[in-house]
Amino acid sequence: MNQADVSKLVSKLRIKVPPKHRKLSSPQGPEGRLNKLRKTVTGLIKYERIELNYRRADEARQYAERLISEAISHGDCHKPTMEIADYWLLEKQLVHKLFKVLVPRYENCNTAFTKMYKAPQAYYGRHIDKAVLELRGNPYPTLTNKQSNNRLLLQNVLLDAAKYDYRQAKYAEMAEKLGKTEEVKSGQSNEDRNKPSN
Amino acid sequence: MSLVIRKSTVEILCAAKWIFRRDCRLLSTLPEKTEIVVDEKERIPGRKTRSYNPILENRHVYPEFLPDPNPNWRNSLREKMERADMLKRRSQIDIPEFYVGSILAVTISDPHAQGKTNRFVGICIERKGCGLRAEFTLRNVVDHQGIEVRYELYDPTIQSIQVLRLEKRLDDKLLYLRDALPEYCTFPLDMDPEILPEGTPVPINPVQVKLKPRPWLERWERQELKGVSNIEEHLKEKDRVRRELRKTPWEKYDLMKNYRKTIPAEEQSEIWNEVYNQLQQMRVSRKKMSRKRTVTTPKTQLA
Amino acid sequence: MKQRALSLSKTLLLSHNSKGLPAIRCLSTQEALERRHHLFVLEKKRQLEKVGRIEKIEVNYKGIPNDCTLVMNKDISTPYDCARHLGEWHMESSALALLDGSVHWDMHRPLTENCTLELQRFNIAEPQQVNKAFWRTCSLLLGACATVAFKDTVPVHLHSFPGPDIRSGSFIYDVDLPSLPDWKPTPQELHTLSAEYIQLTRKQLPIERLDVSMELALEMFVDNQHKAKQIPSIAKATGKVTLYKVDKYVDISKGPLISNTGQIGRVAVTSVHKLTGSSESDLKQLYRFQGVALPTGVILNHFAFTILTERAKKLNHARSPINPFSESMSAEESIAARA
Repeated sequence: MNQADVSKLVSKLRIKVPPKHRKLSSPQGPEGRLNKLRKTVTGLIKYERIELNYRRADEARQYAERLISEAISHGDCHKPTMEIADYWLLEKQLVHKLFKVLVPRYENCNTAFTKMYKAPQAYYGRHIDKAVLELRGNPYPTLTNKQSNNRLLLQNVLLDAAKYDYRQAKYAEMAEKLGKTEEVKSGQSNEDRNKPSN
Repeated sequence: MSLVIRKSTVEILCAAKWIFRRDCRLLSTLPEKTEIVVDEKERIPGRKTRSYNPILENRHVYPEFLPDPNPNWRNSLREKMERADMLKRRSQIDIPEFYVGSILAVTISDPHAQGKTNRFVGICIERKGCGLRAEFTLRNVVDHQGIEVRYELYDPTIQSIQVLRLEKRLDDKLLYLRDALPEYCTFPLDMDPEILPEGTPVPINPVQVKLKPRPWLERWERQELKGVSNIEEHLKEKDRVRRELRKTPWEKYDLMKNYRKTIPAEEQSEIWNEVYNQLQQMRVSRKKMSRKRTVTTPKTQLA
Repeated sequence: MKQRALSLSKTLLLSHNSKGLPAIRCLSTQEALERRHHLFVLEKKRQLEKVGRIEKIEVNYKGIPNDCTLVMNKDISTPYDCARHLGEWHMESSALALLDGSVHWDMHRPLTENCTLELQRFNIAEPQQVNKAFWRTCSLLLGACATVAFKDTVPVHLHSFPGPDIRSGSFIYDVDLPSLPDWKPTPQELHTLSAEYIQLTRKQLPIERLDVSMELALEMFVDNQHKAKQIPSIAKATGKVTLYKVDKYVDISKGPLISNTGQIGRVAVTSVHKLTGSSESDLKQLYRFQGVALPTGVILNHFAFTILTERAKKLNHARSPINPFSESMSAEESIAARA
């Protein structure tokens, strides 16, 4: 059992973090791995949507999330954060983009800053999982065509009509009940009226 | 200077240099400045964070309340029960605030000792573990023999833990004291507690120890230690080359590696919200008790 | 006498239920179906031969994967052929074609001129027309099921089906069963009808379209007096009657319909209600077959689908062709024309 490192305070990532890192095969060891990921993270910040191998995408996603959350929590006047941004973004104009564009975009975001989809594989050739990695709020059209909320879809039209029917039936039932009670009441009042006449 | 003379008469085996420096700190204003600078450094990142939460500062005082960051060993229910047990234990005995580098006196019950108790004084060189398994190691040199005792913080046989000198050192772990000259970790067993005035931040002791010549227990030269002064004297050219080869300057940029070592702020604030009130109550009640005690016991040091 | 007939029909139905599916296949109107199918094929062949010299048209396709221009044969190539050029996914999922952004075109109807083409699926942003085509197709296939499901001894005269109204919760086919004066289907019989329907969808048959003249249509539907009565009013406007063929079953519909029966996914024939005619109409009663269906690939949980089927069991209040409260003859014609 190890003690948690208390020297730094990090904000929680909104994505699932695997317990161990992936070793991206590289002759330079861990440094080479980070160099690969730097390229990917730079590309992600630059193009906002990239397609690549799943393993590398998943790793790079975690680093991109961390980078953005650091930038949000510390701002651009914090020297260590600036150093980190300088290390991770190979093109230096992207540092500006990170602090001036992405931080305002994600400041009030309650979800993860990135999205990852599984991409289709090539029909032939080696079997390698592909993924599409994108920043949330990017200017491109959405990748998913999820319109299950579309009210005009056949199933939704049917369900809406069924709901409407059900409500109408309930209202009719309630109205009937009310009518009955009123009848009873009126009957009683009639009796009351009859009594004094008798 | 009178203090030095008085201490020497009590035969403190501490290094003369260390005492001299410490005296300087008390008498001149120069080292105090350094302290202030350190304070600012600590404060700046805290102030810049958007959601700065003072409750999170507890992580330095009670690091064992944070769970192990390895997700394979996480279990929220067990952690919660452990925290409850820890609080129960803390309500039984006073486990004071201390850091690596502080000098402690620990009394444990020992069936084989005279009077059934055993008291040991030493400098805390390491704090490890979390939850009920938190432990710390005390080191001292007794009769020219280095002795280390590892205590579990929540061990029920511990009768009392007393902080004799509350301070931090430059490094997170002082394991290099094993290879340092013995005067750096020699403390008298009947040392008097030094009481810090209320509200002062924990001082950082900037002492740099001298290492014995090799062989060493570890390759200290590769660990970027700040509290060692003469490490270069003992190095050969070969060692320097290898140190350069073994350096990992990218690790501080490995955001995920750092992330996997820590507990995120959101989870921490949950934990502290759970335990903070009880801890604060205990601290306040203990302070009242100690104030009574300080009134009753005459302060020989200040006389 | 009536009771005896009832009991007889019940025993008949029960017996063929107990025997299982093969027993149902005793077609009552087999010859009529064959004849109609034969005439349809002949007419289609004739119309194809009439095209003569093949001319080329340019079709501008819009949509995924990218916009492109296809050079197709005039009066021969269909939107389905265009989809075949684009890919298997388009062939399977496209239900309806949209020409020039305004005209909804059957997938199996030959293109006549240069146009822009969009293929519409069930999950597009504005699927109203596709839904209507789907509902219409479901009604038409329900007629096909009703034709083949009964024994030879029970003559089945299809009447018509009203225009698609999805909010009513069920698609309809009104059928005249003259030998069954008072029939209430058991759940088992409804299951059998549903099974018949599902078999039809599993075959994944293309739905072919053909415009024929009124005379030929009358010739084809000579054995069905209801349809024969409706045809003149349908052909009043253009002189043409639009026919659709699924496997061997031919029916009249205004169209457009979806491309393939395989695009009908979950389906249930939920109930059969008896409609009684008014005193002045010559038809005393009709049976209203009702069902509910969803396109292939629509994921709907079992509970929700049960709600839909329960709702579809109630009598659909679409205008009855023999309803005493509506304008008797004109209504009948208009309903048939609308379908």
